[in-house]
Amino acid sequence: MKAKILFLFGMLHAAQLLGQDDLLNMLNQEDAKKTTYTQATFKGTRFINGQTVETIAKKHLNFWISHRFGALNSGFMDNFLGLDEAKIRLGLEYGISDVWLVGMGRSTIEKTYDFYSKYKVLRQSNAMPITLTMYGSLATNTMPTGYTLPSGNMMRYENNLQRQTYMGQLLIARKFTDKLSLQIMPTVLHNNKVESVYFDNNLYSLGMGGRYKLTNRLSLSAEYYKNIVDTQNFLETSGTPYPYQDSFSIGFDIETGGHVFQLHFTNSKGMIEKHFISQTTGTWANADIFYGFNMARTFSFEPDKKNKK
Amino acid sequence: MRYLIAVLGLILFSFQVNGQLYMAQNGEVSFFSKTPLEDIDALNKQVGSIINTDNNEVAVQMRVTNFVFPNKLMQEHFNENYLESDKFPSATFKGKIRESVDLKVPGTYSVTAAGSATIHGVTRSIEIKGTIVSTGDQISLNCQFDIKLVDYKIDIPKIVFAKIAEVIRVSSKINYVKK
Repeated sequence: MKAKILFLFGMLHAAQLLGQDDLLNMLNQEDAKKTTYTQATFKGTRFINGQTVETIAKKHLNFWISHRFGALNSGFMDNFLGLDEAKIRLGLEYGISDVWLVGMGRSTIEKTYDFYSKYKVLRQSNAMPITLTMYGSLATNTMPTGYTLPSGNMMRYENNLQRQTYMGQLLIARKFTDKLSLQIMPTVLHNNKVESVYFDNNLYSLGMGGRYKLTNRLSLSAEYYKNIVDTQNFLETSGTPYPYQDSFSIGFDIETGGHVFQLHFTNSKGMIEKHFISQTTGTWANADIFYGFNMARTFSFEPDKKNKK
Repeated sequence: MRYLIAVLGLILFSFQVNGQLYMAQNGEVSFFSKTPLEDIDALNKQVGSIINTDNNEVAVQMRVTNFVFPNKLMQEHFNENYLESDKFPSATFKGKIRESVDLKVPGTYSVTAAGSATIHGVTRSIEIKGTIVSTGDQISLNCQFDIKLVDYKIDIPKIVFAKIAEVIRVSSKINYVKK
């Protein structure tokens, strides 16, 4: 009897191997051994003002046009709710490899040129829970010396070295579901010259950001930077309140083939780290916020195989 | 005990008989979309497939994310918007070769495989015509067929409708090795 059962088992086993599904199962088992990387944690290389962990593909070029209109609370008759004025940043970024990009830009604010590089160190996969990207930038201020900052302080430069600001950031992100991705970004920013003796040359900040996909082509994104500044100490030593705020931005990403449009509200007028992390003056409470948009157009310089044939 | 040996022998035997498998890990599947506005092509070089030459059954499996496009933004849209590869990571085919050919015997065979294809989570019956060249130890398969996007509920938005063909030509070239 036992032998008969075994015999039947043997027959079943043989019959099992015949099934098409088992051929597929075998293939699935083989496939499960391979590393699979998570794709498209975020739609773009930027959230709103800050950067995401995303880099662009090798030989691809992104052209960024970013606009921030005037403050919403600047009056309807006087300033058409801010739409009468605009600050612009034009930027280009290029993928040296699939994980390394370099970029540059020019901002209206403080006539600043910025140069940056991002390198993806770790990629989220079935073996790695997060994506880690290193990001560094240099901002060069080309304003004539002796201009007044939004805080009211006068900025004077004696040499070109004083005009430089350096920034380093770790971008750590995880795509939790196909809809939800979150990121944190510890930041250090160094100004070679600060506006008064009461400011520290180094500014530390912790950024947080996320996106939630509402549809395949529309997502909601937000970012917040918590600056680590002893405002109480600043008030006691300088006699005036700390003039800058933490930056908070919220908006929508709309994707059409080849373009990403980002429409948002932010209390920061600047579009590079030096400006939006360390020099944000607007507050959400006073509606001192700015409507803005970013547009990115991607160009591919990868030769099309079909065209070669 | 004697029975046990007989059964074990039978199992081994059945493995041998039914286990005449030819396997491929790096098969190639490409597709081509042609419209007056834009030609789009993509290639997947990591296609897995098995042929069981005893009953001529075939299985093919590939990861959607392994399709490589010359334009990476297109690749992202393909995965994120059209094939939704987070939800439906793989595309598969399972079927049986209609003709009664012995693929272990060297030669060139024109074959038709009938079975079902699963793409974008939608399973449909499909018939694929192809050519098989066998050397005995190795089998190479070449085939071409058309896929209608609506059949697999692949939605193309109106704004890019003119750039993506409704019917996609799929080509496949898979080299199998005897296991």
